[in-house]
Amino acid sequence: MMLLYENFRLALFSLKANKMRSLLTMLGIIIGISSVIAIMTVGDSLSGRLTDTMSGMGVNNIQVFLSTRPEFDESGQRLTADMIKYMDRDMIKELCKRFEGEIKAASLSIEVGGAQAKDDNLYANVTVSGESFGSFILNDIKLLDGRYFTEAETASASKVAIVSDKFVDNMFNGKTYDALGQTVHVELENKSYNFTIVGVYEYVDQYAAMGVTAGKNVRTNMYIPIETAVNITHDDRITYFNVMAYPEVDQNELCENIKAFFERKYYSNNEALYVEAFNMSSMLEEVTDLMNKLTLGIAVIAGIALLVGGIGVMNIMLVSITERTREIGTRKALGAPNSSIRMQFIIEAIVICLIGGLIGIILGCALGMTLAKLMQCPVQPSVRGIIISITFSMAIGLFFGYYPANKAAKMDPIEALRYE
Amino acid sequence: MEEQSRKPIIRLSGITKNFFIGTPNELRVLKGIDLTVYEGEFVAVVGASGSGKSTLMNIIGALDRPTSGEYMLDDVDVIAARDGALSGIRNKKIGFVFQTYNLISKTNAIRNVEMPMLYAGVPRKERNARAEELMELVGMSDRTKHLPEELSGGQKQRVAIARAMANDPAIILADEPTGALDSHTGRLVMDIFHKLHKEQGKTIILITHSPELAEETERLITLKDGEIVGERAGGAR
Repeated sequence: MMLLYENFRLALFSLKANKMRSLLTMLGIIIGISSVIAIMTVGDSLSGRLTDTMSGMGVNNIQVFLSTRPEFDESGQRLTADMIKYMDRDMIKELCKRFEGEIKAASLSIEVGGAQAKDDNLYANVTVSGESFGSFILNDIKLLDGRYFTEAETASASKVAIVSDKFVDNMFNGKTYDALGQTVHVELENKSYNFTIVGVYEYVDQYAAMGVTAGKNVRTNMYIPIETAVNITHDDRITYFNVMAYPEVDQNELCENIKAFFERKYYSNNEALYVEAFNMSSMLEEVTDLMNKLTLGIAVIAGIALLVGGIGVMNIMLVSITERTREIGTRKALGAPNSSIRMQFIIEAIVICLIGGLIGIILGCALGMTLAKLMQCPVQPSVRGIIISITFSMAIGLFFGYYPANKAAKMDPIEALRYE
Repeated sequence: MEEQSRKPIIRLSGITKNFFIGTPNELRVLKGIDLTVYEGEFVAVVGASGSGKSTLMNIIGALDRPTSGEYMLDDVDVIAARDGALSGIRNKKIGFVFQTYNLISKTNAIRNVEMPMLYAGVPRKERNARAEELMELVGMSDRTKHLPEELSGGQKQRVAIARAMANDPAIILADEPTGALDSHTGRLVMDIFHKLHKEQGKTIILITHSPELAEETERLITLKDGEIVGERAGGAR
């Protein structure tokens, strides 16, 4: 224990005595460790954000979309108009009916377009989209006032709308109860439409976290019933929609069932297209998996840097023991056992690597956190990375320090004392 | 030999040392040395270079093993000791003083003195107190924190003597301790050896080229071609 402390002190002394040389020796370790830490910090921050975003989309959600068959892609054939068979609302209704106990809601959205609502000198920018009732559940849209569309309103393609509180701010001085039942005038596809406001939802400012407040001209969503949107656009082609499963439902199985449902019922004769279903949690897994692979790839590169660094440490240790041959001989004459000579040089190598590792950690954290900040990710130093790095740099010191240290320990004291 | 009541510290009998064993160049450096050194003796070993002085010193200092013969050091059978035990013998029984001082550079004087105690596992406080005491003994208490490079040759050698004394060894083995010093500082260093001998009753083996210094000791052994060719007992001073 005493010797251990003494050896640490000695190692620090000898590093201080050869500052430049020590620094150059550490360089490989510093570069290796700092890149590992930087990558892990960025990776952790990035996957943290991805997980946040994707769980925000709802882990119980399944995306259903039209896709070209892989065989068709391979054939190199062009997709022609007669091959395209879009999904439609009836199919989705059928689907919901078929899996009633498993699908909680289906969200279908048709974007109509951007517009400006006007009333005398008041105005508000909106994006008008037709939504099925399920959209409000899936997207977790909460009403501040009013109500959602009724089934009758959807069925009859009524001109009703749900607007944001920002919209109300602009058009009705922020009084939601004043807005309810009011008619707003919107021009869409060169035609004028009057919509009656039935509900007001709370606008979530996505950029508020970045310190940017939405101004007066911010464009918010104006939701209208899906049938109303189809009437306006005359386009009922559906290429994708989302469904929300009940929490206890096995999502992978439901995905397979949804695919099979479309295949059997609607797409068995279509050589080009089929319906694909993905669930968010499996996508999340895939993304995490990809991130891990990326991290591993860079870890391999960093590993090579560390290997080179380790060889550098070994080299300098060999130089150091040659320079200090007389010292080793003297220590042996004074009664140092081989084991303590070995220990002395192993600890010196470990200290070099550890200091290099610490510098690398500091640089890596700084670099990684700066990058994460630039990418607008939540910044968090990678604790896992720091622990791995410290362990790893000590292991490098031990591994690459052992051979030189053992060489020192095995020196013949007489030869060593005679060494000039 | 004059005082049979004295305890023998070193008993060498029939020590031989051959180099390049089994080759045509086989060299017999020591040809059967018999030597007994008693507790408290101050012995000088002289001889021309190539006489086997250094080899003998290495064997006495437990740095090297003889080809044949017996060696008892302070009742410890050195020949029978395993390699691992030799470092312990060097540490506790022998105090080395080298011609070139061999202080550990970048380590201050007092820490150099503490070093043998470190390997002996002496606790820090005790180590420090003993080192201070030894520095005082060699008249270096005002230089404890100096680095070797900040000390003169004579001062370095005094620190080295203090270091040799650290674990209160059975013998002090000094190999040409004044060889690198001018006559004045050499004198000072020799006086320290005399002081250790007289005041502390230390057993000292001095290997030297200088006939004058050898004359000062109470016993003189002359080596020639690996054999003891002359011995004078009861010295001057």
